[in-house]
Amino acid sequence: MGNFDLLMHGFSIAITPTHLMLMVAGVLMGLVVGVLPGLGAPNGVSLLIPLTFALDPTSAIILLSSMYWGALFGGSTTSILFNIPGEPSSVATTFDGYPMARNGESTRALTLAFVSSGVGALMGIMVITLLAGWASQFALKFGAPEYFAVYFLAFAAFIGMGSASPAKTLVSLTTGLILASVGMDTVTGAIRLTYGFSDLLGGVSFLVVVIGLFGIGELLSTVQEGLRFRGVNSKIDLRDVLKTLAELPRYWATTLRSGLIGIWMGITPGGPTAASFMSYGVARQASRKGAAFGTGRPEGIVAPETADHSAGTCAMLPMLALGVPSSATAAVMMGGLMIWGLTPGPMLFATQPDFVWGLIASMYVSNLLGVILVLATVPMFAALLRIPFTIIGPMIVVICFVGAYTVGSATFDLWLVLAFGLVGYVFSKLDYPLAPLILAMVLGHKAENSFHQSMLLSDGSLGIFFANPLVTGIMMVALALLILPKTLGLALSLRRRKEIAP
Amino acid sequence: MTVKRYQAEIGTALVTGGLGVAAIIGAAELGTGWGDHGPQAGYFPFWVAIVLVGASLWNLGRAIVTHRQALRTPPDPLDDPEDPFLPRDHLGRVAMFLAAMTAFVIGTLMLGLYVAATLYIGWSAWRQGGFRPWIGLSLGAIFAVALYVIFEVTFQIPLLKGPLEPLLGIY
Repeated sequence: MGNFDLLMHGFSIAITPTHLMLMVAGVLMGLVVGVLPGLGAPNGVSLLIPLTFALDPTSAIILLSSMYWGALFGGSTTSILFNIPGEPSSVATTFDGYPMARNGESTRALTLAFVSSGVGALMGIMVITLLAGWASQFALKFGAPEYFAVYFLAFAAFIGMGSASPAKTLVSLTTGLILASVGMDTVTGAIRLTYGFSDLLGGVSFLVVVIGLFGIGELLSTVQEGLRFRGVNSKIDLRDVLKTLAELPRYWATTLRSGLIGIWMGITPGGPTAASFMSYGVARQASRKGAAFGTGRPEGIVAPETADHSAGTCAMLPMLALGVPSSATAAVMMGGLMIWGLTPGPMLFATQPDFVWGLIASMYVSNLLGVILVLATVPMFAALLRIPFTIIGPMIVVICFVGAYTVGSATFDLWLVLAFGLVGYVFSKLDYPLAPLILAMVLGHKAENSFHQSMLLSDGSLGIFFANPLVTGIMMVALALLILPKTLGLALSLRRRKEIAP
Repeated sequence: MTVKRYQAEIGTALVTGGLGVAAIIGAAELGTGWGDHGPQAGYFPFWVAIVLVGASLWNLGRAIVTHRQALRTPPDPLDDPEDPFLPRDHLGRVAMFLAAMTAFVIGTLMLGLYVAATLYIGWSAWRQGGFRPWIGLSLGAIFAVALYVIFEVTFQIPLLKGPLEPLLGIY
């Protein structure tokens, strides 16, 4: 069967009353999570995972991914109306979205953001549809060394391509790997790094860590800033929506360029946040009237939003095909997949075609639903932010702790959430990236297992990672991603300094 | 006393380095070499922890170097490592929020989640939001009932209960 037939089969799975209802519920929950400070896409999905055990995996992933899209939409809503990015990836939307809304054009700003997000998402899903079959065919050739090389590639890309200092990314990454190795070792059966605490025997759940780092950590940052929401009018005028829709084709070049940036950053582990910033920067450079950016330029909304959503959707491809998520939320979803008993990776396409293609088809439907739903419900969700923080803040805290407790019904996890909340707060204040920590926690076991197996195959020689063209190629790309971006940047800045000071 | 940013950088680097050292010790007890069946259990964590210690040392060194530089040159107004990490008024707000949250966790362990959530939300609305105590408490109680309906009734996931719920006939 070709990709198209498989996709049609996927639609027959995705478009059932139950699944449509789950999509609506997921998008709405995602909107709530995206709008509220302290609840973002990664920990929204973490909070929901314990509730999905009763569902079959296909329904569960449809619910979770719809929530992800909803959270992305919700994040841009607050960026535009309140100048508060609900998600890190919608920071770039505040630059032009909030000024435009303050000029009295909030409907125009919101419509631009939502529709270009929808277009970006569709571009991303089309790429997934086209590449999915090929990627999994390619991945079927993989053995243990190739898998380890791919994990190494993911880690290397985070270090080399992230915006943070490489040493800080490395700290975040290795901390995650160490946390992942706490508890029973699946290969040797040894109990590791528990230091005699029986609470640590079962290991540290990445869901609990996500809730602490992203939930409590972000709440603490919000508290520190002191909460004064200055919102602008959030009424949606249908006539303005239509007028903006007619205006959109004018930005086709920005849309296309941003979509491609997003797709690239989504497939390689750059992530949506980096994609939206990069796309905003490129749009500003490409624009002839560059100075007007930051005052409510429509391209300044279209560019980050398109890239944000195409990167968010494309992050699903490496997660499904290789088992390597390229964003924090995708990492959490992949952890969910493993909890449901599925093994992400190429075999998923062969053994669970209903799951994979149902998910891909649902992404088309739920993103379309998302654009419509979000336009219809924005005033309602914007009202959530008018509730005083002294009430909504403690409620979010309670939801975070309840969510952490439902993961394993362990009271020890409550203390872990508190501790990781502090870690998340300090880390994000000092520009330590959080996504690599989560990625490392989810991939830690798999990376170690594939390393272990490779070492068994080669009798302890690292040469196995350069034994055939495929694994050598992946390792070379990984090393290039690790070393090149930062050294190139350093060389460029040195050269520039020389030019300034002759 | 205000904590400066470079002090926070140094503190964080020391903590992450300490974690690395702890992991090295833990891994060393398991054996970090090669057994009959390939790498021993401590092999992977051991080398990861060495990288962690190295990266922490790098961050530590960098924080100290930028601190020294900042003392000699006029400060960069946008990115000054001598800036306070937490200004005094911010520190107060964050400390208050953390203290209330810690009290909520302790309360959950002693009184159960529902009672603790009601008290926590009620207290916060009263003391920090300026609402009347009974309004805050009823908001908290409504929220607790909503949690009960969602988790225990709909999804059948039991949450932590204390001594009070059995008196109401809820187990």
